[in-house]
Amino acid sequence: MNSPGNAEPERGSEYEENLELLRQIDFFSGFPLESLKVFAYLGARQRFRAGEVLFEQGEEDATAFSVIAGRLRLERESGGAVRTIRRFEAGAFIGGLSLLGPCRRLYTLRAEEATVCLALEREKFTRALEQFPAQMPRLFQTVVNAIVGWEENFLDEMAEDCGRCIPRLGVSLL
Amino acid sequence: MPKPRPPIVKRSLASWVFEGNLPWQALLLVLIAVFTATRVLPLEMQKRIVNEAIGRREVDLLFAYGATYLAAVVLSNACKYGIQVIETLIAQRTLARMRRALLEHILRLPVGFFRENQPGSVVNAVVNELAVPSNFVGAALSTPVANLLTLLAFAGYLLWLNPLLAVVSLAIYPAAMAVLPFLQRGANRANQKRVDLARTFSGRIAESFQGIHEIHGHAAFRIEQRRFAELIERLRKVRVVWGLFRYGVKSANNFFTSLGPFIVFLLGGWLAIRGELELGALVAFLSAQEKLYDPWKELIEFYQVYQDGKVTYRRTMEFFDVESPVQIDPPDRPPLRLEGKLEVRRLDFVTEAGIRLLQDIQLALRPGEHLALVGFSGSGKSTLALCMAQLHAVEEGRIFLGGHDLTRLSKMDIAANLGLVSQHPFLFEGTLRDNLLYACEALAPAQAGTAAPPTLDDIIAVLHQTGLFADVLQFGLNTPFDPARHEAIAPGLIRVRRKFQEKFGARFGEVVEFYDAAAYLEYSSIAENLLFGSARRPEFEPARLAANDWMVDFLAREALLHRLVNVGIRLARQTVDILGNLPPERVFFAQSPMSAEELPLFRRTLEQLRRRSPEQLSRQETLRLLELALRFTPGTHKMLELGDEFRARLLAARARLRREIEGNVPGAVAFYDPEAVVPSQPILKNILFGNTIAARPRMQEQILQTVIQLLIEKDLLEAIVGIGMETDVGTQGDKLSGGQRQKLAIARVLLKSPRILILDEATSALDNRSQARIQNLLETRWKGRCTVVAVVHRLDIIGHYDRIAVMKAGKIVEIGSFAELMARKGALYELAGKR
Repeated sequence: MNSPGNAEPERGSEYEENLELLRQIDFFSGFPLESLKVFAYLGARQRFRAGEVLFEQGEEDATAFSVIAGRLRLERESGGAVRTIRRFEAGAFIGGLSLLGPCRRLYTLRAEEATVCLALEREKFTRALEQFPAQMPRLFQTVVNAIVGWEENFLDEMAEDCGRCIPRLGVSLL
Repeated sequence: MPKPRPPIVKRSLASWVFEGNLPWQALLLVLIAVFTATRVLPLEMQKRIVNEAIGRREVDLLFAYGATYLAAVVLSNACKYGIQVIETLIAQRTLARMRRALLEHILRLPVGFFRENQPGSVVNAVVNELAVPSNFVGAALSTPVANLLTLLAFAGYLLWLNPLLAVVSLAIYPAAMAVLPFLQRGANRANQKRVDLARTFSGRIAESFQGIHEIHGHAAFRIEQRRFAELIERLRKVRVVWGLFRYGVKSANNFFTSLGPFIVFLLGGWLAIRGELELGALVAFLSAQEKLYDPWKELIEFYQVYQDGKVTYRRTMEFFDVESPVQIDPPDRPPLRLEGKLEVRRLDFVTEAGIRLLQDIQLALRPGEHLALVGFSGSGKSTLALCMAQLHAVEEGRIFLGGHDLTRLSKMDIAANLGLVSQHPFLFEGTLRDNLLYACEALAPAQAGTAAPPTLDDIIAVLHQTGLFADVLQFGLNTPFDPARHEAIAPGLIRVRRKFQEKFGARFGEVVEFYDAAAYLEYSSIAENLLFGSARRPEFEPARLAANDWMVDFLAREALLHRLVNVGIRLARQTVDILGNLPPERVFFAQSPMSAEELPLFRRTLEQLRRRSPEQLSRQETLRLLELALRFTPGTHKMLELGDEFRARLLAARARLRREIEGNVPGAVAFYDPEAVVPSQPILKNILFGNTIAARPRMQEQILQTVIQLLIEKDLLEAIVGIGMETDVGTQGDKLSGGQRQKLAIARVLLKSPRILILDEATSALDNRSQARIQNLLETRWKGRCTVVAVVHRLDIIGHYDRIAVMKAGKIVEIGSFAELMARKGALYELAGKR
């Protein structure tokens, strides 16, 4: 008879894989291991067939996704026409802002091929975050850096071609 | 015409003594008369036994007097017991009546009263404080009459025995009566303070419970303890003072009554020595004198009960003596059926603190017209809506509903014509059906004969309109199949299951984990995987398998026991590591095989494992780890990987377990059978004959739609909705989501078909689709038929309202159609962020 002391051959559990994944995402880079463990535990794998929608334009969805495998397509419908904005592949993290508060989706996110994501819901994230209040300033800083960084890049690389959208710039001044 | 009864808060305590208790009080008087006579008789027998039977040495007389003595004592005690029973009966009947009347009064108090006072104060008054005055009512007649009669009888008997001795020994009672009321006044003052403090204390406890999330969130335990400690200390002091005075009354009384025998011995002894008093008479006198003490003590105790009851009753009634500015029921007529016309004239609303929340509001709506109230937070939108629904008292200005002044309409008139849905609707404990029919049932007695109660078709229509149908259906599908209640639908469920397998089995193969005897079920626990069926005997329920010796023995024979304990140890380590420092909330423990309550136990076991090997654990700890492992469900609990080899071992054990159960404990488990329902499994699982895979959230909706179609085909949909309607909503609806609560609140109001509908951000918790559905409902079904006033936060849903009133600092700054106001580029334009 086996003794209970003899450990099972340890294979990586889904939780351990989630933890590894979160450690590589910028959004979570400021969090200590103790809190990342809780996020990794609360996250859930979701699988999508090609063509399946993760969230829809206009919807108030409250989930952030990290792509584990496969490819996603971001679309925007305007005046009846659907335009592809960009694509996300393994390693991408989408929708971190929706973890901080209710926000309406401005785009539709669709699986372009069979895709696996790690999904984290706002309710779980915020309840977990409440347990680590000291991490809030770091999280805010990450978000601030992302917004300012985006606009800075835009100004550096795209402003010249932007034309009519110039007066609308200044999102980093929110 | 009978005189109208005064409200409970105006009634005197004495008024409760006879009302409804007359026959009982009369019976008490009869018992008291017998009781008094039987108390005096033994004294006379004592005297005769000493003087006649013993003195003359007559045994016959001794037996005769002894028997009379015994009969009197037995009868006296029987009467006493009867008196106490009737007193208790009267006290409890009175307590129940007081509670009913006070609660009826409290529920009708203006809403403002409940804003100003803590619910705990009301609870304390109704539950605790009324007990004291009702005890007084129980004894109000019997105790003074019985004891005064006894006292007079004994006093008369003493006077008859020896007037001089009697007068001297009775002189102590007037002296006592001079001192005792002085002490009682002190007790009353302390009791008055105690009642007030107890009310505050109860209110504070209730407040803390309501704010428990804040207390935990801010770790404000010390602040709360400090607040409680101060109140507890004040309450302690006042109770000590109260006790001191109460016991002061008792001690002073004891002192006076103890003086009696002293005087009798001194004076009686002197008279006996001089031969002026027979020895038998002295014995009888001493006995009678001693017996005076009992009725006197009871009178003094009754005096205290009366004083405490009076103070408590008065203090309690004074607290609730608030007049309701409106009538509850219409006088001698059914509720009015009002036109949907709504007019507000020069309405101001000022809080008690003097803050002006509304100023000079003027508006008029035609029947069926829809108005959106918009504006920044604090602009007075909700206050105006609540004034229209008569939840805020209108003091300056007027509101007319259907041409009637709001202040002159009864609550029932308003409820019959106006429906209000607030932002945070309240649901009561009970089922979805109870809550859905709440408004209609409230109106039913007043509308008897004039309006029909809603039919099942009405209910289903409203569920569809509000988008609650899918939720109720889902609740029904998630209800475990109970053979006792759901047997009638069992054949239908099997037909739906067959159809689902035939037509959609392949399509949903990735999303449903079908019950396959040859496959390990990732969304079932290890226990369920082993059993592969539903327990028919309690000891085979998955949660009890670890306590089932037969099963533990089977696992040991299969060489699975230690491996499972090992899984339990690994699960315990991971769970304690991840959740060890988190609060015991559902959000954290829903994905864990371990409950928050069990965590400290497993933490202790892990501590043990640092020093000992697993074999050295106690049997209890080993079985607890086994139980944890048996709960492990790979699809839900992601902290562990079982391994393919172990899954195969468990599958092999499943087949052998089935053979052993069929051979040794036949009938203990209903094994999964495609042609039979699985008791205690949810109805949806019974239809799918498998588990849904949580990792495919979007596909769940498709499965649900498919199942609904099949249920419609097989004519089972209404039955499942009916089962869903019996779902318990929990405390304040905590088993429902915020959106479901709002949809239920809207459905509750729509079901009574109001002429006027007030929506105070009633769709704020709904997702876009549900919000659009309600909006569509208002536009298509209710425009022109029902006047709507909606407080709206989101400006993207106001385009279809007939008019929009923009509020700012308590005033309507502009009013008009959406197009007009946007074209004007005024306040709405600014609010919409266009400027």
